[in-house]
Amino acid sequence: MSKMIVPLGPQHPALEEPESFTLMLEGERVAAATVALGYNHRGMEKAAESRTYVQNIYLLERICGICSHSHSTCYVQTVEALAGAEVPKRAQYIRALIGELERIHSHLLWLGIAGHEIGFMTLFMYAWKDREIVMDILEMLTGNRINYGMNMLGGVRRDITPEQGQKVLEALDALEERTEYYKNVILQEQTVAIRTLGVGRLSREDGLRLGATGPVLRAAGVVKDIRKDDPTEVYNELDFKVATDEHADVYGRTVVRVTELMESYHMIRQILRQIPDGPLSVKVPNRIPAGEAAARYEAPRGEDFHYTRSNGTDKPERVKVRAPTLANLAAITHMIDGGFLADVPIVIAAIDPCFSCTDRMVRVKDASSGRDDVWNWDKLRQYSIEWHKKRGQDLGYRI
Amino acid sequence: MQKENDILNSLSKKFPEIDISEAAVSVRKIYLSVPEEAFMNALKFLSAEFGFKNLCTVTGLDAGDGYEFIYHISDDEGVLMNLKFKTAGGDGVTIKSVLPIYQGATFYERELEGLLGVKVEGLPEGRQYPLPDNWPEGQYPMRKN
Amino acid sequence: MANLMSVGTAIFNILVYPGFLFLGVLSLVYEYADRIIYARLQNRVGPPWYQPVADLIKLLTKETVIPSEANNRLFRSIPTFAFAATAASFLYIPVWNNRSLLPFDGDLIVVMYFLTIPTLTFFLAGWYSSSLFAEIGGIRAMMQLFAYEVPFYMSLLGPAALAGTWSISGVSQFYREHPLLILINIPSLAVAIFSAQGKLERVPFDAPDAETEVVGGTFTEYSGRFLAMFRMMLGAEMVVVAALIAAVFSPFFIGGNAALGLFLFLIKVLAVVFLLALMRAALARFRLDQMVSFCWKVLTPVSLAQILLDLIIKGAL
Repeated sequence: MSKMIVPLGPQHPALEEPESFTLMLEGERVAAATVALGYNHRGMEKAAESRTYVQNIYLLERICGICSHSHSTCYVQTVEALAGAEVPKRAQYIRALIGELERIHSHLLWLGIAGHEIGFMTLFMYAWKDREIVMDILEMLTGNRINYGMNMLGGVRRDITPEQGQKVLEALDALEERTEYYKNVILQEQTVAIRTLGVGRLSREDGLRLGATGPVLRAAGVVKDIRKDDPTEVYNELDFKVATDEHADVYGRTVVRVTELMESYHMIRQILRQIPDGPLSVKVPNRIPAGEAAARYEAPRGEDFHYTRSNGTDKPERVKVRAPTLANLAAITHMIDGGFLADVPIVIAAIDPCFSCTDRMVRVKDASSGRDDVWNWDKLRQYSIEWHKKRGQDLGYRI
Repeated sequence: MQKENDILNSLSKKFPEIDISEAAVSVRKIYLSVPEEAFMNALKFLSAEFGFKNLCTVTGLDAGDGYEFIYHISDDEGVLMNLKFKTAGGDGVTIKSVLPIYQGATFYERELEGLLGVKVEGLPEGRQYPLPDNWPEGQYPMRKN
Repeated sequence: MANLMSVGTAIFNILVYPGFLFLGVLSLVYEYADRIIYARLQNRVGPPWYQPVADLIKLLTKETVIPSEANNRLFRSIPTFAFAATAASFLYIPVWNNRSLLPFDGDLIVVMYFLTIPTLTFFLAGWYSSSLFAEIGGIRAMMQLFAYEVPFYMSLLGPAALAGTWSISGVSQFYREHPLLILINIPSLAVAIFSAQGKLERVPFDAPDAETEVVGGTFTEYSGRFLAMFRMMLGAEMVVVAALIAAVFSPFFIGGNAALGLFLFLIKVLAVVFLLALMRAALARFRLDQMVSFCWKVLTPVSLAQILLDLIIKGAL
């Protein structure tokens, strides 16, 4: 059969964010795949250099809409390390609480997306409805459904009351029951099994070799979780297991995520039991002493990495962010190659990609050089009209 | 912090040109500068002898008087090693790719090429990342000029 | 004069009731039924009752864009072919009694062939769109055709063999007289429901227009009134297939009273549509290769066994 080249993206119904995969097809099979990124490049690392440390919390929280707390926690950890600030225990517990709630919300979201990718819309509708429970809890605790704004340098902004804790516990009971149900669906529903078992295989060796991270790696049987390996905050005071699976395919990743959901419920119950009384924050100076610090945090999608270099002023010299998706990308083409076109969406979705996280930086306008490479809105509009006219698609209205 | 210091001591024993007195050590984190010539061998040594099999990312920064490259590598026990080296600044800087040691490094090194404008030797051909294709040549956002 | 009257009645029958117009209304009603059942099964509220009509009107008022690369004439005419074939097949399916509008011995086979035409038009529509995703969708539709068509035919042939006639009206007449014999055909019914999902390109067999893989599939390039025509046709096809399954597999007919007969017909079709919606909600999409092997390795042997069983019982009767 002749070869056919299929573009998957930058805009495609299977992808929640713009990125571009080019697939060379032989019949229904993928012979080769390449990936192109950068469509979501927003220039955050550069922007961080001209903002103060406090402003950067809110900037970096907006790297990603889903794992916003992971990014801001990871960033404040680097700054606190630089300033030598000791975060109060109560604040650490609250950070961990929001972190785990965020993991629940992210994994439920993923479960729905996975259902969508394999054409199982009912799973999508169910999972997203149940996700509303945890979203409501997050809104109650932080005031926001996403981008919680809980972190500040040296602690957290808001306290939780015992009544709120009670509501969280009630929500957990409901969520736990639903998650048990999903576990049964995944383990017993035949059409789910045949669409995920053996699909997108990434062996333990390949995963380690290509630097994969998070549930993708844990599904290949690697016990690796930053919460265990490099426990920051209070994770060494919590009792939890690292969810792993031996399937090393999409099925395994699904099982790992659902197991992690159960572990998160377990952890939140412990947090609410153990949380001590005390202050919520310590004072961190505006000017941070010169130095450098790196921090890692287990985001829902894998290992999130932040590095901050300070130069003694109130603005950082360099902020470097590595989101988990970028680490998993090298593994993606490996997993797609030789598979079916029909499996490509679920294989991509199974790393739980977040391309907004991955592409952080923006094209900065260079006003000084006066080059004509940055278009203003009018010029872009004109170009668009002409482009469509040339193709005989005069839309009859002005864009 | 026994393990962290052990790592530093064996490094300095093996590579006398590495000065570990400047290293900053905290729990499970090491920050160490090495001369550019010793860098690749030190990386190989750490990967082979101490199990630093995972490359978290590569940070490239313009320190004003030159570029600085920081390779963040981690092992299975949660130790994070930040290995740094410095080069000259300006155009025409070339560094070596770490792809032979860390096969997941493609995008990290491509980012160095795209944002800092250094040449990474040994990186396969590919579309630039993360800047768009029509980005003007010779403009590198992360430079501080 | 009497001749003129009967010509008038025939035209009325073909164009209005139980012909095109009736089919059009039914397809909207059952599209709504399908959507609301599906929504309720998914914990959703679902659309209001007029949604299918609103969708149709909206599509009709939208601008139609035809790709400059596409074969203009074929691109425009293919949806009409698809709808015409579906509507024509409805004329042979009994509605208010157990006699269709134009019954003849062998109309079961004719209906099946008519129902193949829409799938062929999907392929042609995809091919002549000259768009990558439409082409892949068209090829997938064709590959599916080879998989589900055989079990679908055979699942209907089993009951027909037992009834000893190739006429749909004859089959339903037979089961009205021997209602208990229908129990024998239950495996065949299951096969028919499954392969009908393939024919209608719905989950679990919706690979030809799986949006996460091939965007809109066959219909990627279609818009405006041509897409509306295709949508009407899909709704009508669902009614025709459901009515066909109901006619062949259900013994409930009441002679004489047209209104009661019509009511029973609506209920029966609704029951089949409910089964179709239930399946759509409960299953995930099969990959094309899995779908083909499922059709050949599971559905076909079952329907073969059914035909054998029916023939043996026929001999015993």
